[in-house]
Amino acid sequence: MNSKKPFSKDIILLNNLEEVVDKIIRKLQNDVLINIKRLGAVVGTSGGIDSSVCLALAVKAFGPEKVLGIIMPEKDSSQESEILARELASTFGVKNIIKEDLTQVLSGFKCYERRDEAVKRVFPEYDPSTYKMKIGIKQRGLSNNLPPVFYLTIIDKNGNQKDQMLPVKEYLTIVAASNIKQRSRMSMLYYHAEALHYAVIGTPNKHEQEQGFFVKYGDGGADVMPIGNLYKSQVYQLAGYLGVPKAIIERTPTTDTYSAEQTQEEFFFQLPYGLMDRYWYGYENGYSVDEVAEVMGESKEQVSALFANFERKKKTTEYLRMAPVRDYYGQ
Amino acid sequence: MKHDPIAIKEKVKSYIHQAAYVENDKIKDDSLVFKEGYFDSMAFMVLITYIEEEFGIKTNDADLTEENFESINAITDFICRKTQN
Repeated sequence: MNSKKPFSKDIILLNNLEEVVDKIIRKLQNDVLINIKRLGAVVGTSGGIDSSVCLALAVKAFGPEKVLGIIMPEKDSSQESEILARELASTFGVKNIIKEDLTQVLSGFKCYERRDEAVKRVFPEYDPSTYKMKIGIKQRGLSNNLPPVFYLTIIDKNGNQKDQMLPVKEYLTIVAASNIKQRSRMSMLYYHAEALHYAVIGTPNKHEQEQGFFVKYGDGGADVMPIGNLYKSQVYQLAGYLGVPKAIIERTPTTDTYSAEQTQEEFFFQLPYGLMDRYWYGYENGYSVDEVAEVMGESKEQVSALFANFERKKKTTEYLRMAPVRDYYGQ
Repeated sequence: MKHDPIAIKEKVKSYIHQAAYVENDKIKDDSLVFKEGYFDSMAFMVLITYIEEEFGIKTNDADLTEENFESINAITDFICRKTQN
């Protein structure tokens, strides 16, 4: 007999936050202190909602003196990120908050140079000292059966904007160069974690994990991911419950990767998180297209195309989640 | 050659099969290459680059529709229309 709850718009909301937080904290303590035998936790703090909730959970699990917050700005970072990260640390009594500026590291990897050369091949007038840049998806809607293609946008100092569909070579180069940022952050987190015999707390949420919106061995590299199974709406619920500063909760989630401001919705998700959460819940819990469409007030065709899109995304990003293949010779 | 729909279709067909790593003739001319999961986002971008370089055409935002890209037949028709312009 099917005991599944009928699908509703509130189905993803957590009802007992105290119990949820308590469960997460107990598991964090067990995983970090007992299973992997580390003494505390390192959290990369970006001033965003996900890393803020992770820091708050780590403080609850290990105490503020056993948590190290690391702010890792680089020349494309928004200054607001550091201000918010410091406000967060102060809110939760974390005195061990340090700043590691990664600009020199990234210059050493030629991260900016490699990226800017690719941008110039598309827009010869692009000058990184006067232009900002980002890549993103044009909103064609998730219900389109074609996968998205990426566009490059450059913005001059007067705010004039130009967009162009990215040729594949330039797209791959820009993404590969930009991913050095996430991988450098991961290296820095592990440096401090190993120096203190702490664990690295990974900050991706459920959507980022399951839809592949993370960098393999970058922000996807961590020891534990306490919000890795939570929808974004649930992360916001926890943020409110835990007392994350209002300025962080109200901030639009960005990728913090390109010099021009860019929302996560614009770059990857294509749907506001509130809608994405509900459709994804319906999809992964096997609710029928008819039931989800009726509750969400959307056509069956649209929901069916959305589910197909999710299926495709999950399949094509499996590579990001898989461990290195090593069973080449069985013994 | 450039405007010969049969030659264009053969090239598209051969490209699609190679790019999808499937045996020749496994994908039918009217199979929905994206909907049926043969091609993902990256393969779509590579396909656009291939079409632009091989047939000397330029695609724009308005061209990126299912009608133009859903199958070998659709892609062939799209290239034929573009090369005739």
